[in-house]
Amino acid sequence: MIRVRHLSHSFGRYWALKNITFSLDKGDFLFLTGPSGAGKTTLMRILHASLPLQRGKTQIAGFDLNSMHSRKLFLLRRQVAIVFQDFRILPDQSVWDNVALPLMVRGMIKKQVEKRVRAVLRGLRLDNKSWCLCREISGGEQQRVAVARAVVVNPKVLLADEPTGNLDKKLSLQLMEVFRQFNVHGTTVVFATHNEELIKSHQNAKVLSLKEGSIIDANWPLEEGGE
Amino acid sequence: MRVFTHLLFQGLINLGRNKWAQIFTMSAVIFVSFLAGLFLLLLFNFNLAVSKTQDKLQYQVYWEKGLPLEDVSGQWEEIASWDIESLKTFTPEQALQVLVDSMSGDFDPAYLSESSPLPPTALVEISMSRGNEDDPAKETLYRLEQLPGVERVSFNPMQMDMARTWFKITSRVFWPLIFFMFVITGLVVANTLKLNQINRKDEVEILSLVGASPWYIQFPLLITGALQGFMGGLVSLLLLKGLHLLARDLLYFPPLWIRIEFLPPLYMGSLLAALTGVGIISSLLAGGSDSR
Repeated sequence: MIRVRHLSHSFGRYWALKNITFSLDKGDFLFLTGPSGAGKTTLMRILHASLPLQRGKTQIAGFDLNSMHSRKLFLLRRQVAIVFQDFRILPDQSVWDNVALPLMVRGMIKKQVEKRVRAVLRGLRLDNKSWCLCREISGGEQQRVAVARAVVVNPKVLLADEPTGNLDKKLSLQLMEVFRQFNVHGTTVVFATHNEELIKSHQNAKVLSLKEGSIIDANWPLEEGGE
Repeated sequence: MRVFTHLLFQGLINLGRNKWAQIFTMSAVIFVSFLAGLFLLLLFNFNLAVSKTQDKLQYQVYWEKGLPLEDVSGQWEEIASWDIESLKTFTPEQALQVLVDSMSGDFDPAYLSESSPLPPTALVEISMSRGNEDDPAKETLYRLEQLPGVERVSFNPMQMDMARTWFKITSRVFWPLIFFMFVITGLVVANTLKLNQINRKDEVEILSLVGASPWYIQFPLLITGALQGFMGGLVSLLLLKGLHLLARDLLYFPPLWIRIEFLPPLYMGSLLAALTGVGIISSLLAGGSDSR
């Protein structure tokens, strides 16, 4: 499902990622850990094709990022959803509209959109906030809106960049459960977090630790140098 | 079709968002296109005045005396079919009458009554800006001289030089100036609209992140840009018409007698089309740069 080979990325002279290699299969759950500046967000953004590839090879959900034209990126993003640290939601639109957006851009009919959005909002306990504008709800609720928008499309791969950063312990564990549910149904999840407790709560997950752009630890054997 | 209608509607809704930014953008577009329209109006009227006063050239054509009038009439018909502004013809008798009329009252033409001593003549007027010819004056002179029985073609060389000069000035300056004006207007309007669209950078980025196709992102922006350009152009033309109504007789006094004309439909259409096109292009550029 995800295949990364010798991936490196720099911002000017600073190398944010150095020679990263790993693979994930369908239904894997990966925790990406490491201190701030370790390269977690950069890796997420490359996997979502929000940052261009510089060095190395990357395949995700059947798409080869090395040979993909920028005008076709939307096809990848229909299979790979992402939750950002800073939410990236539309503050002047309602919770409902934000969550329905990925379905609308796919041209889904209104009835189906309503059915799926309602189910996801209920699952994330946002159903009582459906018609509130996103700028009027709390940070934790905005975080859940961002998660709802990502999961509503049943993506093949779900990338989450510190999605529990603004949530208390209880809500974090609830959100973790949402991710786990999707994972159980076959979605590959890449979850970046500092939260050791969350990692411990998911015993079967793979864990990849990054530091200063390099892999320093992994709890499963990585294929070094494979093509 | 459902998605298309939704996006079209979205483009219209965008006009109502962020009202102050829209008002400032529309004002800028209106004033820039108004200035462009005013420049176009001045240029058009200047060109019109030059065409009316300096663009014409007259030839006096003399046929051989005693040539059968039927032959000359045939040639007059031929000349009339050419691309000319006007043709005045004179039989020998008519030419004599004109001569008599121009003399003082004590001139007695009775002794010439049996036959006029004057040849058949014609006064041919052409426009220097006609067709695609390089030098209409030279071309017409050559054709007139080649007509059988034509003895002499006279014209005022100074008038010819003057007409040629004005024709060169208007043809070499008028269109480049209009092109230049359209380029400047396009750049200013495009930048204004692009800045306005950049207000919506975050929305474009989010749409791209959730899997919207480039077409889905750009189509509503394109509609908004096209509407802003078109509406800006339309309002500026209305303002220009108002100004024209107030000022059209400003130069209508001796010796100028110039009545200011409004822009013809072709010019108005070009201005509107250019502004609409600029709106579309600038929106595509603004949307395209943020949709990765």
